[in-house]
Amino acid sequence: MNFNFKHEWIETNVGLMMVITMIVISIGGLVEIVPLFLIKDTVEKVAGVRPYTPLESRGRDIYLREGCYLCHSQMIRPLVEEAVRYGHYSLAAESQYDHPFQWGSKRTGPDLARVGKKYSNEWQVQHLIAPRSMVPESVMPNYPWLLTTPLNTSDLVDRLKALRKVGVPYSLTEAEYQRNVKQFGAKTAEMLHIPDAEKNLVKQAQEGNYDGDRNNITEMDALVAYLQVLGTMVDFSKYDADHFAKFR
Amino acid sequence: MAAVSVTSKEQYNFDVVRQFSVMSLVWGVVGMLAGVYIAAELAWPLLNFDIPYITFGRLRPVHTSGVIFGFGGSALFATSYYVVQRTCQTRLISDALAKFTFWGWQAVIVLAAISYMLGHTQAREYAEMEWPIDILIEVVWLAYMAVFIGTIMRRKQPHIYVANWFYLAFILATALLHTFNNLAVPVSLFSMKSYSLFSGAQDAMVEWWYGHNAVGFFLTAAFLGMMYYFVPKQAGRPIYSYRLSIIHFWALSFLYMWVGTHHLHWTAIPDWTSTLAATFSIMLLLPSWGGMINGIMTLSGARDKLRTDPILRFMAVALSFYGMSTFEGPMMALKSVNALSHYTDWTIAHVHSGALGWVAMITFGSMYHMIPKLWDTKLYSQRLVYWHFWLATIGILLYIIAMWISGITQGLMWRTFDDFGNLKYSFAETVAAVRPFYIMRVIGGLFFFSGMLIMVYNIFRTIRQGAREAVELEAKFAAKLAKAGA
Amino acid sequence: MSKEKLQSQAVQTTGHAWDGDLQEYNNPLPRWWVWAFYATIVFAIAYWVYFPAWPIANGFTHGLGKITYTDDKGVRKTTDWNTRSDLMVDLNAHAKLQQPYFEKVEALPFDKIAKDPDLNNFIASAGKPLFADNCAACHQTGGAGKRGFAPNLADDDWLYGGTYEKIQETISGGRHGYMPPFGEALSGEQIAQLASYVLSLSGEQVDASQAEAGKALFHSETATGCYYCHGNDAKGRQVIGAPNLTDKIWLWADVPGAATPQKKLAAVETVIKHGLNKGVMPAWGQRLKPEQIKVLAVYVHELGGGK
Ligand code: HEC
Ligand code: HEC
Ligand code: HEC
Ligand code: HEM
Ligand code: HEM
Ligand SMILES: [Ca+2]
Ligand SMILES: [Ca+2]
Ligand SMILES: [Cu+2]
Repeated sequence: MNFNFKHEWIETNVGLMMVITMIVISIGGLVEIVPLFLIKDTVEKVAGVRPYTPLESRGRDIYLREGCYLCHSQMIRPLVEEAVRYGHYSLAAESQYDHPFQWGSKRTGPDLARVGKKYSNEWQVQHLIAPRSMVPESVMPNYPWLLTTPLNTSDLVDRLKALRKVGVPYSLTEAEYQRNVKQFGAKTAEMLHIPDAEKNLVKQAQEGNYDGDRNNITEMDALVAYLQVLGTMVDFSKYDADHFAKFR
Repeated sequence: MAAVSVTSKEQYNFDVVRQFSVMSLVWGVVGMLAGVYIAAELAWPLLNFDIPYITFGRLRPVHTSGVIFGFGGSALFATSYYVVQRTCQTRLISDALAKFTFWGWQAVIVLAAISYMLGHTQAREYAEMEWPIDILIEVVWLAYMAVFIGTIMRRKQPHIYVANWFYLAFILATALLHTFNNLAVPVSLFSMKSYSLFSGAQDAMVEWWYGHNAVGFFLTAAFLGMMYYFVPKQAGRPIYSYRLSIIHFWALSFLYMWVGTHHLHWTAIPDWTSTLAATFSIMLLLPSWGGMINGIMTLSGARDKLRTDPILRFMAVALSFYGMSTFEGPMMALKSVNALSHYTDWTIAHVHSGALGWVAMITFGSMYHMIPKLWDTKLYSQRLVYWHFWLATIGILLYIIAMWISGITQGLMWRTFDDFGNLKYSFAETVAAVRPFYIMRVIGGLFFFSGMLIMVYNIFRTIRQGAREAVELEAKFAAKLAKAGA
Repeated sequence: MSKEKLQSQAVQTTGHAWDGDLQEYNNPLPRWWVWAFYATIVFAIAYWVYFPAWPIANGFTHGLGKITYTDDKGVRKTTDWNTRSDLMVDLNAHAKLQQPYFEKVEALPFDKIAKDPDLNNFIASAGKPLFADNCAACHQTGGAGKRGFAPNLADDDWLYGGTYEKIQETISGGRHGYMPPFGEALSGEQIAQLASYVLSLSGEQVDASQAEAGKALFHSETATGCYYCHGNDAKGRQVIGAPNLTDKIWLWADVPGAATPQKKLAAVETVIKHGLNKGVMPAWGQRLKPEQIKVLAVYVHELGGGK
């Protein structure tokens, strides 16, 4: 083999070695990542998926903060046992507004992709405060402070604006609002309108009464609102069982 | 011997190497203590104590970042600065920049650990640091790149030693990965919070392209660089095959970057990406083993030394675990195996056979070799090295056997149907079933951790001894000079 | 290392040395290693031919692999290999195993199901994980219930009725028990009297005169109207889920856990004062299939308290 002869060139020239290394390590990412943005079917066409309301979005922030993703996946795989235990497999479309994604890599606890509406708000609150009071086998930590910490909404608008910058269709202008009305319907569009965010957050928290106390809006309100919407946006009864296969 | 080292002190910048070595041990203790603690939290959830800052979800990134970036990262800075100077026979190109990388990197780890406990996280594994820390990392890394490459450019020898190829690839790849994976929009200039630029499937792909290569380049390629210097040095033998090192270096660098999707098998990622990841993972097996073969064959030339030298034993065990986890990895990258192993403790077993078995063991071996040279003395105690070796080895075995059993138990229980086609076990039953193994892991972790403490003690005594000898030597010199003058 | 040894080795090394004694042998690649590497490449290529693999233009290579399954309408379909079609094959096989049982469950009336030993075995097997993964979170293992949270399903006391049909209705549509608060309408004294009366119904020791006054209040149309919901005999009304107050079973007021008569009074007073609005049983009609709900209805009925 004469390659080691040529390799002398590279190993005596650090510039050349850097250039070749950069080329060699860039190819894989280019071939695998770039097409994901270009191939349209990567994110399936499906009705119902919408950005989170201000309250849900704040709940999601808390989900991230507490590191729930380190024990819980949000990704039901197309395997029979998961179809039977958790429900319809997750679509890429269902996390299209998730910055960042929360598919997880470990299931110390069960998958949460479709936990929305599975339990009552009362249960969620009690379980978050003291999981073992509801499920004796559980190894999940208690989160009592969620119920006592008022939800901070001082930077709500900034947060939604940042999400808007990364591509989530929250609206700032009338034109954007109208676009959302067309895409998501008037009721949802209203929820996505940043100038009304604070008002809408309060309204949803009071109507939903997620933490069992209408007068105080706590972090618990937000987190439970988020949990209760997980996996509920797509109505799978409208689609044949094999409908989504064509996207893969 | 002493005379040689005295001159080498002037020739090389060992100050920064010493600093990084010490901090590597410090972060090893902190990170592994966090590891033992979160392991105990899973066994006895009471230990979360309802204190937000130490709940499992906030402490786990302290562990992962602490051991990977604190312990592993500092060890890599230390050894790469040591190796690049010695193999290029030149001093680091800039002491000031090197010093900056030291303080910058320590700041990164401290800020990361504190911010996780306070709840600031980007919630993407191994990249949890929020945007201001990400920027600091970027700056430190560019400085590191400048120091490393600049030093290579000043080398006294036309050929760049193979260890430096690996360090170089690791530095370049990490720069590339870190930059693209942390693209995010902050909530405001004064907010720690940011949202990642990508979402859903694309975000997942970018994250695991990064995440796998945090493993591939940070925890593997770079430590191979360490191996390529310290194994032949300690064994006193040449590297087994130059040709093999060329082939496996380029094959690794190329193939690693394709396999991130094996962390996303069966998810909502398109199937074609999954196929590429599975096949490239399989193709990675032999290039990975190339490094193991080169190491093991080098050691096997020094078989008699293996029996008497505990440092070589650390290296031999490290290479064995490296071989094992790079065999296990490609198997887990097959879709059918991954359907079982994904989401379970099997992944955790695999991680720690790589992390404890390979990363930590090769680091221990290299540090035991390097630190006495840095302080110009001998190791304080060989016996304690033996103790460390056995505690670590037993600890690893307890840890990974426990996690293999619990992982396969979870995987099987989740998918077992009875004769009627009904699921046999509820999720809660699977949580209860693995609890004994969570306790076994705590015990394994304690073994490993106590070995680490012994090392710290041994190194502490070694350093003190080195300092004392230096003072005595100086006194002798002074006395001699005084005599000569008189 | 001795000088001679170094020299003898130098023949095989590349001839470079770093840091004094660092050298490299120039051994050839191990044969087995080379062949095994080629084998993995061949394996990879075979995979790429069969499975979807390479992105091209606005799509990807689909591979030669094919999958045949039966869709919802019973039509056989063949598609390129992909994980989602692959799931259809497994779901087909799974359905084939379960269909005979579920069809029988769907077709037969409850009393016939209960008498079919084969179906009973199936229901025991199917009901267990369904109950454990979905219901036990509230109703606890074995349906033992949890005071202050969700009722015991294994006793013969029922809020909404313990027949198969009622249980099925409960599971499918969910329930939300509501009792209005009386803290504003009534004085503390009146509430104490009511509580005494309620406690007396299940044989607790109470001040008889207080209970007597409470009894009048309980049956008063204008002051309270308790009897509207709980019935004249206070044995409850299952259409609205108002519980029987004459048995010793307490879901919300922690009477059994209260050590002293005062604490018992206080427990019941709290309920009357604040009312109840937290008894939410989720509806499972959307999440579970009708035949699964029917299985659960039988399963819950057989937990011990079915009527
Ligand atoms: C240490 C691991 C761990 C962490 C961290 C954790 N969980 Fe859990 N979680 C579990 C386990 C184990 C279970 C299953 C037993 C149970 O229901 O408690 C569970 C169950 C759940 C369930 C019920 C799911 C179902 O379908 O029954 C929800 C909802 C949940 N967790 C939400 C959360 C949220 C929100 C967080 C973060 C604030 C969180 N968990 C953090 C381990 C964890
Ligand atoms: C979120 C908690 C929760 C879950 C989950 C839940 N239940 Fe319930 N269930 C309740 C509560 C609370 C009540 C009482 C409702 C009331 O007080 O009005 C109830 C009532 C019932 C009743 C009526 C009992 C009676 O006395 O009439 C039945 C039957 C029942 N549940 C069965 C089930 C089954 C079967 C499942 C699972 C598929 C289930 N429940 C899941 C909370 C729950
Ligand atoms: C509008 C109907 C309604 C009226 C009026 C009403 N109740 Fe109730 N009551 C209920 C329902 C429904 C429940 C069960 C709530 C649940 O299960 O979620 C209940 C529960 C109770 C309980 C708790 C039983 C237990 O198991 O812990 C007590 C005690 C009680 N009622 C007493 C009274 C008294 C005394 C009055 C009159 C002052 C009254 N109720 C008026 C509907 C009513
Ligand atoms: C005392 C020794 C150690 C103990 C007891 C320990 C324990 C743990 C525990 C309990 C977890 C969480 C697992 C879970 O979520 O189920 C974990 C995760 C992890 N640890 Fe360790 N650890 C130790 C040492 C190390 C070392 C030395 C490294 C790396 C060099 C390391 C790298 C990791 C990584 C990368 C993860 C994340 C794994 C994943 O997400 O899949 N650990 N460790
Ligand atoms: C050829 C080499 C390797 C291959 C192909 C490989 C493959 C894999 C696979 C398939 C997984 C499981 C992903 C999942 O199901 O979620 C995994 C996880 C992991 N591996 Fe490896 N592995 C290799 C070597 C190593 C080595 C040497 C280490 C050293 C530390 C390592 C560290 C990890 C870590 C930390 C994870 C967990 C990632 C996470 O989920 O958080 N791997 N690897
Ligand atoms: Ca992980
Ligand atoms: Ca980051
Ligand atoms: Cu990987």
